[in-house]
Amino acid sequence: MPQIRLNNITKRFGKAIAVDDLTIEIGDGEFVTLLGPSGCGKTTTLRMIAGLETPTDGDIYIDDVCVFSAEKGIDISPDKRNVGFLFQNYALWPHMTVYKNVAFGLENMKWEKPRIKERVFELLTMLRIEEYSERYPSELSGGQQQRVAIARTLSTGPKILFMDEPLSNLDAKLRMEMRTELKRLHLETGSTFVYVTHDQLEAMTLSTKICLLKEGLLQQYEPPLDIYHYPANYFVADFVGSPNINILEMEGEQVNLDEIKLTNNQLSLLYTPNSSSITIPKGKKLYLGIRPEDIEISNEGTIEAAIYSTLPSGMETIVKLDIDGLIVTCVVFGGVDFKIGNKVKIAFNAKNYVLFDRESERNIASGTLS
Amino acid sequence: MTAAASAAAFIFIRICRVNYRNRFKSFIKKPQNVILVSLAFILIYLTVIPMVTILLDTFTVHQSELMRVKGSKIGDFTLYHWTKVLFSSASRKIFYEPFLNTLIVSFGTCLIAILLGGLVAWLVTRTNLKYKGIISTLFIFPYIMPSWTLAMFWYNFFKNSHVGGAPGIFTAITGIETANWIAYGPVPIIIVLGLHYAPFAYILIGGILRNMDANLEEAAQLLKASRAKIMRKITIPIVMPAMLSTFLLVFSSAMSAFAVPAFLGTPVRYQVLTTQMFRTLNGLNPGYGYIMALLMILIGVLILGINQRIIGKRKSFTTITGKSSNIALINLRAFRLPVSITLLVSIILICIVPLITFAIESFIMEPGNYSFSNFTTLFWVGSGSPEIANGEPGILRNISILRGLWNSVKLSVIVAFIAGSVGILSGYAIVKKKNTKLSALVNNLAFFPYLMPSMAFGAIYLSMFAVRRGFIPPLYGTFALLVLVGSVKYLPFASRASVGAMHQLSNEIEEAGTIQGIGWWKRMLRIIIPIQKSSFISGYLLPFISCMRELSLFILLVTPSSRILTTMLFQYNEKGWSQYANAINLLIVFFVVISNYVVNKVTGASIDKGIGGN
Repeated sequence: MPQIRLNNITKRFGKAIAVDDLTIEIGDGEFVTLLGPSGCGKTTTLRMIAGLETPTDGDIYIDDVCVFSAEKGIDISPDKRNVGFLFQNYALWPHMTVYKNVAFGLENMKWEKPRIKERVFELLTMLRIEEYSERYPSELSGGQQQRVAIARTLSTGPKILFMDEPLSNLDAKLRMEMRTELKRLHLETGSTFVYVTHDQLEAMTLSTKICLLKEGLLQQYEPPLDIYHYPANYFVADFVGSPNINILEMEGEQVNLDEIKLTNNQLSLLYTPNSSSITIPKGKKLYLGIRPEDIEISNEGTIEAAIYSTLPSGMETIVKLDIDGLIVTCVVFGGVDFKIGNKVKIAFNAKNYVLFDRESERNIASGTLS
Repeated sequence: MTAAASAAAFIFIRICRVNYRNRFKSFIKKPQNVILVSLAFILIYLTVIPMVTILLDTFTVHQSELMRVKGSKIGDFTLYHWTKVLFSSASRKIFYEPFLNTLIVSFGTCLIAILLGGLVAWLVTRTNLKYKGIISTLFIFPYIMPSWTLAMFWYNFFKNSHVGGAPGIFTAITGIETANWIAYGPVPIIIVLGLHYAPFAYILIGGILRNMDANLEEAAQLLKASRAKIMRKITIPIVMPAMLSTFLLVFSSAMSAFAVPAFLGTPVRYQVLTTQMFRTLNGLNPGYGYIMALLMILIGVLILGINQRIIGKRKSFTTITGKSSNIALINLRAFRLPVSITLLVSIILICIVPLITFAIESFIMEPGNYSFSNFTTLFWVGSGSPEIANGEPGILRNISILRGLWNSVKLSVIVAFIAGSVGILSGYAIVKKKNTKLSALVNNLAFFPYLMPSMAFGAIYLSMFAVRRGFIPPLYGTFALLVLVGSVKYLPFASRASVGAMHQLSNEIEEAGTIQGIGWWKRMLRIIIPIQKSSFISGYLLPFISCMRELSLFILLVTPSSRILTTMLFQYNEKGWSQYANAINLLIVFFVVISNYVVNKVTGASIDKGIGGN
């Protein structure tokens, strides 16, 4: 049974459209990430589900209860939606100690004092900040403030948790650590998480499902690996993955029943779609998407390339290759280093290369190269 | 001591000297150091030394007390003045009663100003109130207008014939004789001053509310706190420090207000410290006045101390700016229209109606008679007739009034120029050298004149610069004295605006210019000033407006040759020629409002930037 359902949600600020006709379902216990570049409407969407923002159009259901409906004039206030919200800037109350910040929600629920104390310390211990209970937020580091904010949000035990870029104010190391903790927290609490970020790596590593938005429009809503391997369009392919996917401009021609010849100035490749239901007219303009890890540097390769640049990081090396003036990126695992200018051979041996229509930018096939 | 040792010592001393000289050289090479050092000297000379001089003067025997302080010579040390003011049978009348009245008036003023200003600020920043644009524009008006505008309005409207003179408009319309307590004394003084300073509170509290992260309130709402509880536990505690500092600033302003209590208190002999000071300084014993001035400054300094103590507390209120732009405004629902209209109408009543009554009053021949046949243009363009007001011509044909207008404008422009420019320099240097002792000293010195009650400040300058002081020739009765006192008194406005503007400017912006070898003057004129143009212009605008409408600062210092509009207005009013006073007031209001409007439209500067709003 879906826990959160958005039906045709639209939000306009004056003339600008922030969210355009969004329909998604978020299942019980999922960890859904709203992903997209800044200004794509992801924070607005989150705030609308929480009730902090009023949609211009559409309905929202939480646990099959209608919490907002433009048509029926329903708008249940945030405090009655039983949700938790973690703000980007934490929004800790500067005039209250850590203890008071966390206890506030429980006091509102009229809990007994000893019970509140027990619960607050349980949370503080879980987040390893119990020794700071009498400090004020301004006396804590960013990571500690972050934990207090999480404790405050969790205090009332909400079944749904919203998080708005909660890690963006932390440094790289701390961010890694907090990611692990958030994922653990998701399992421990069994709650539904809805998470906003512009960091595709965060979305990939954390979520069970990614909802990718661009300029208020839904691009794709699927599990992270599906998004990675089967991007719905050029934008998704380009946005997800680091280093970026290689996008080659090609012209296509159906050569056999199920084979397509792809050519450009440097390359001529034979493409076999995994499902044979497409036909390509001659001269059709296409994009070929090749993930960096799907280019293999090997002596058995058939295509010649020169090393253009190399970025070894120990675990892997990002190599840029020059194929007669066409620059592509590939990743080699292990601490290999290359000399710039050296000639190498490359091969395309992976199972999954994506083809996009250059006009509509839609995904039309995935297949193999030979 | 061996030769070697003494040689070593000699070389050591040489090194130290060279070291010091080099350090000094590199110190004065930096413009900000030069500015800070010179400002420290000048400001100490112009604020601290006068105060000390006055303090010493209150312990000295003068010609006039020779008889009363037995066996003394002129210049001897005496406690006569202090005991007379504080511990004698007369001190109740001289000091304690006016002091108590001042406290009552100041507290009352703060209460009204903060409640009203805070309420409007909250409505404008946090709710879906209608007509926000016009309300926030008009609401500033009472602060731009001279404070006595509302006082004169009140006086015109409610005055009765108990005290003498013609009854006011209210009695003329309704036929009901107003009671004394509503026409004169503490009640109208508090209401009028409260209305005058409400915009001040509105700007300060509104700035905080606008900067306050709305997420803080939303977080509380999501944790199921009620509206009332959010207000009580989150919003109010967070804006409390700002409210307190607003309270203290309004309190010190109200304490030093002179014109309003003079208009509304004098008819029933309700004295506050400032009016009492005016009487004593103009009368026989200036010593009493100086003591009052010192005590008022002392209160001002205490207030500054408390203010800084509050701001520097542990629960630091650094606002981590969030996405406050997507604030969800509170829906007033059914109250929206009634609240909006009530507010708009009352603001119009406060801002526009007084001006209309001045216009009407200034066209009336015999005060108190509002029939049409009694209307005349005599006081505006008449050539003057011997039986009315000693044959003074109408104000637009009156040479001495036009000269007063010219003096006022000249004075305000010069003062604004000096205060504004020095303000920019001081702000630049203070921020540049922040966290040094010198910078903190200059920062406090530049703010100090704000705490000196205007009247006291004028009194001190009167006594201080009546004779030659160092390189400054005797200035008594000169225009230069007015310029000097005005520039120092309004420096705080300009330096505040400038410090605020410089804080927003990252140091790298100037350093980028320095690295390219651009000289200091060019950096200031081409980089720094253009970037923060509107804030800096606000630093000129506020002194200009304040100077145009200032009375108490100049009232002791003007002589017939250096008269300005405000002091003329006061004199006409004292003589009972209220039509002239009303007409002059209208002239000042128009001048101030129009120049504010023009500067605002042309440059984007506004007085709220100067005060500290956003």
